[in-house]
Amino acid sequence: MSTRTDTNASAVLAESFEGDLRRYLRGLGGLLVFLLVWWVGAMTTHPSYLVPGPLESVRAFLDLFATSTAITVPVLASRLVLPTGFAHLAQTLFHYVPGLLLGAGCGISLGLAMGWNGSLDDWLRPLVRVLRPVPPLAWVVFAIVWFGIHHTGAAFIVFVGAFWINFYGAYGGVEGVSSDLTDAASTLGVERDLSMLKLVALPSAAPQVLTGFRTSIGRCWMIVVGAELFGAPGVGYEIINASNNLAMATSVAYMFLISLAFLCMDVGFRLLEGRVLAWR
Amino acid sequence: MALSSDSSTSREARAKITIQNVSRSYESTRALADVSLSVTEGEFCCVVGPSGCGKTTLLRAIAGLDDPDGGSILVGGDPVTGPGLDRGMVFQEYALFPWRTVRGNIRFGLDRPACDCPDCEARVRELIDLVGLDGFEDAYPKELSGGMKQRVGIARALAPDPEILLMDEPFGSVDARTRGRLHAELLDIWTQTEQTVVFVTHDIDEAVTLADRVVVMGADPGTVQSTFSIDIERPRERTSRDFVDHVARIREELGSPADTSH
Repeated sequence: MSTRTDTNASAVLAESFEGDLRRYLRGLGGLLVFLLVWWVGAMTTHPSYLVPGPLESVRAFLDLFATSTAITVPVLASRLVLPTGFAHLAQTLFHYVPGLLLGAGCGISLGLAMGWNGSLDDWLRPLVRVLRPVPPLAWVVFAIVWFGIHHTGAAFIVFVGAFWINFYGAYGGVEGVSSDLTDAASTLGVERDLSMLKLVALPSAAPQVLTGFRTSIGRCWMIVVGAELFGAPGVGYEIINASNNLAMATSVAYMFLISLAFLCMDVGFRLLEGRVLAWR
Repeated sequence: MALSSDSSTSREARAKITIQNVSRSYESTRALADVSLSVTEGEFCCVVGPSGCGKTTLLRAIAGLDDPDGGSILVGGDPVTGPGLDRGMVFQEYALFPWRTVRGNIRFGLDRPACDCPDCEARVRELIDLVGLDGFEDAYPKELSGGMKQRVGIARALAPDPEILLMDEPFGSVDARTRGRLHAELLDIWTQTEQTVVFVTHDIDEAVTLADRVVVMGADPGTVQSTFSIDIERPRERTSRDFVDHVARIREELGSPADTSH
């Protein structure tokens, strides 16, 4: 962001390029320092499994794709053979994706309904106040007794996490719809409440709804790993599993994998968001 | 573009809007107290007054966006019960839908089931042409200047071909030069469409430039103090004696020499 009044466009462009380059170099420097500290730390720690070194971890990461693992696809109940890293990532996605989408769908729907309808808001607000502070992972006990700690149980926990973040995104978005816009729409022939919601409230709330969803993508990764620590199959479970065998480098490798998976989803969703919200 | 009217071409001197003894209070303030006013079909009527005199409340009541506590408002003989496509409204802060392009904003009122235009695309093109926004059809509101935004606001209000155009300080947020140009354009449009216009402003110069009649309102409680007919030929020269006289008389009526033009 530049507040300069310099009108020489090419100079401004060159400067912003220089600024970008400087930022990248600094970022790279930070990473290198971290790697160095990590490497020295790993070298000097005994026993060596306490801190697996960077090289060892990268090797473990590559190993994830050198072997294959067979997994069962839920619902279809068919077997699928994939490189081990992808296989466990797929297992995680089997409960992450349905939990996220269903939780977001329900959360957005209820958020819109409560933000739009005053009496529904009156009815449910105290309930929301009470249920909201319960951390999603606290539901793990019910996930276990209701669904068993497998895909369905883990999906349920992800659902709870996605639900609240998306609920508040939609709720706040609809509450913030400007009365000028609804007035303008009324004078232009919008009569029914549902039309107003669709034509004015929803597009107006879209930025906050999408921000809520993007936040829930990240939050649900944290939750899903937590759920898997209790035994649902997937990358989170593999982190524990590897550490039980003192293969700490493999644990680190799965941490990389989660980080990469999240990055891909986040970047992908930001691109989508940018296109949908081009009007902002 | 002519108003689809089967009446004679001359503007009949009958009331299009009749406001009778309208009152409106908000908590402790009496925004409107026993206001009566009638606006003739095809008339350009400006309402001026200090802030808090209820001029915007009055406009919103005509639009059907505000429900008065007492009295009645008739439009074309029928009582106002809510907003309708027969009354178009232009807002002070534009109130454009930011997620819709210029074309999408103008088109908004044409997409309602109550509105049946035979060729909506042609109508949108016609309006874009009318307000001089050719080349900006696909721009979003954030890409437009204040003057251009209000052109979109006017075209959007005109789209369903309302009989009445209600304007709430529409040019209050644009710079003086643009405002002068918008005045001329608005008068052109009004001449073409023969609509009844109620235009709220606190700028006396603006009122005298535009109006057939200026209604002066007083504050606390909001009442109609007096009305002035402006029978100066258009376009009006702001430095002409007639113009200056009218402005001086209205300013005196308002009793606020501090409220000079902007």
